Amino acid sequence: MSSQDFSSSSSSNNSKIRSYKLKNYLTTVLWTLASIGMFVCFWEFAWWRGWANPILLPPPHIFLSDLSDQFRFFDPGGTRAGALSTGGSFLSVLGVIAWSSMRVAAGLALGFVLSLLIGLGIRYFHIFGRLVLPLVTMLAPISPVAWIPVAVFIFGIGNAPAIFLVCVAVFFIMTLATLSQIDSVPKNYIQLAQIMGCSKRQIYRHVILPTILPELFVTLRMNLFAAWMVVLIAEAVGVGSGLGQVTMMARNTFNASLVFFTMTLIGITGFAFDQSLRYVQRKVLWWVGPSTVGAL
Amino acid sequence: MTIGLKINNLAKIWNPDSNNPVKALDNINLNIELGEFVVLLGPSGCGKSSLLYILAGLENATEGIAKFDGLKIESPSPERGLIFQEASLYPWLTVKDNVTFGLKISGFSQNKRDKAAERLLKLVGLKGAGEHRPHQLSGGMRQRAALARALAMQPKVLLMDEPFAALDIQTRARMQTHLLDVWKESKASVVLVTHSIDEALALADRVIVFTSRPGQIKAEISVSEPRPRDLRSSKMLKLAKKCEKLLEEEVEKAFKEQELA
Repeated sequence: MSSQDFSSSSSSNNSKIRSYKLKNYLTTVLWTLASIGMFVCFWEFAWWRGWANPILLPPPHIFLSDLSDQFRFFDPGGTRAGALSTGGSFLSVLGVIAWSSMRVAAGLALGFVLSLLIGLGIRYFHIFGRLVLPLVTMLAPISPVAWIPVAVFIFGIGNAPAIFLVCVAVFFIMTLATLSQIDSVPKNYIQLAQIMGCSKRQIYRHVILPTILPELFVTLRMNLFAAWMVVLIAEAVGVGSGLGQVTMMARNTFNASLVFFTMTLIGITGFAFDQSLRYVQRKVLWWVGPSTVGAL
Repeated sequence: MTIGLKINNLAKIWNPDSNNPVKALDNINLNIELGEFVVLLGPSGCGKSSLLYILAGLENATEGIAKFDGLKIESPSPERGLIFQEASLYPWLTVKDNVTFGLKISGFSQNKRDKAAERLLKLVGLKGAGEHRPHQLSGGMRQRAALARALAMQPKVLLMDEPFAALDIQTRARMQTHLLDVWKESKASVVLVTHSIDEALALADRVIVFTSRPGQIKAEISVSEPRPRDLRSSKMLKLAKKCEKLLEEEVEKAFKEQELA
């Protein structure tokens, strides 16, 4: 039987693919802009017609007009809420965003690793599973918001409680997802490994782990937004500085412009987060076909 | 010491402790010699795949015993390779790493694995596909990679569970020829499950026809024609008719039972 020709496609073909990709990308960007533009137009129209009170619902051209004034409220130092910082600049805004992002990233990473370890442990060690699974199932439905006091009792004020809350927000759901992923590993995969002489440990390491990781990463991405919500709430009730704290301060001082400005920042940051996770997923977990990744 | 597979009074009942135990196999007696090509032919759901899984050591027999080279089969072993209907290559590994997965587990060095991969991929006609990923291959190529993966462990028996059922007819015919070449070269026994009479007659030294559930051995047909066989020759057509008649009775029986139930 003849062997197939597997030489890679020619370079002209490659550049064709690249221009096709670029076109695809531009189309996506255009539609995204159109989507946001539609919303902004509607809002501005409502303001123009006098439907939206500019004090309570200031449209984008108002809350984005005096940026330096808005910047004054951002203090990456994390001093107490309500204080106007002295050096309000673009950098301080980035600083505040960075703090919130760092908490989300740390909490997500911690929650992901912990849930993976516990999930694998529950299935690997039978007694451990029997002992821990009911607890996980029982704690899972408790909202992360209910954990806020616990976080403060244990960790006080600062970064630790916010990270803890993000971690809690993803941990239980990710643990249960890990279990369901382990249970749905194709039987063939495991039987083949058994025939090849794999031990139980080798099956977990070489077969089960790589099989479940891609789906778990998708689950993590879906829980990213939940993590963002939790970190903002945590910051708002005072366990840290960050975007949530700014929002809360804006609410307390009736600064609607600042509320919407912060909301814009939160939206953009969340979007960037999702995109970067998607990128990581595509690079690290290449064996998920692009079609599966693109679906989400 | 007896060489090859020896199956004595074997029976398999699924869910024996539940309300509706299902008897999949009953009273199976079969010897398969080293280097023999045996095809298990039967209507779907007759338990022939169950028998294959028992021979692989992935399932236990409820009654009776299955022995390989004189030892009771109790757990899976690399010397009894299994090939599924779907190739089941690991999607996170390249074709080469899939083929040498078992060697890696057994602790072979990278160098030795590379050499083995080259030899095996050439043997199954996938030379140059080693660095590709499974999803880049067609169904037939994937199944050949799965064959190479099984051969890497130098099995004494190849157990094949409807390996070509998911392929189109043209690919299937080529794969059968190919399998015969590989079989001759490897000198392993092959136990292949199928419900296609043509496939059975094209490949087998011996065709074992199964009854519908519970699967019992209904007939044994030896095929002595030299390969490659012309399935349209009068002798082969006669054998095909015979198989058809045997299978028809069983399908008829199965249908009647389903009507009753």
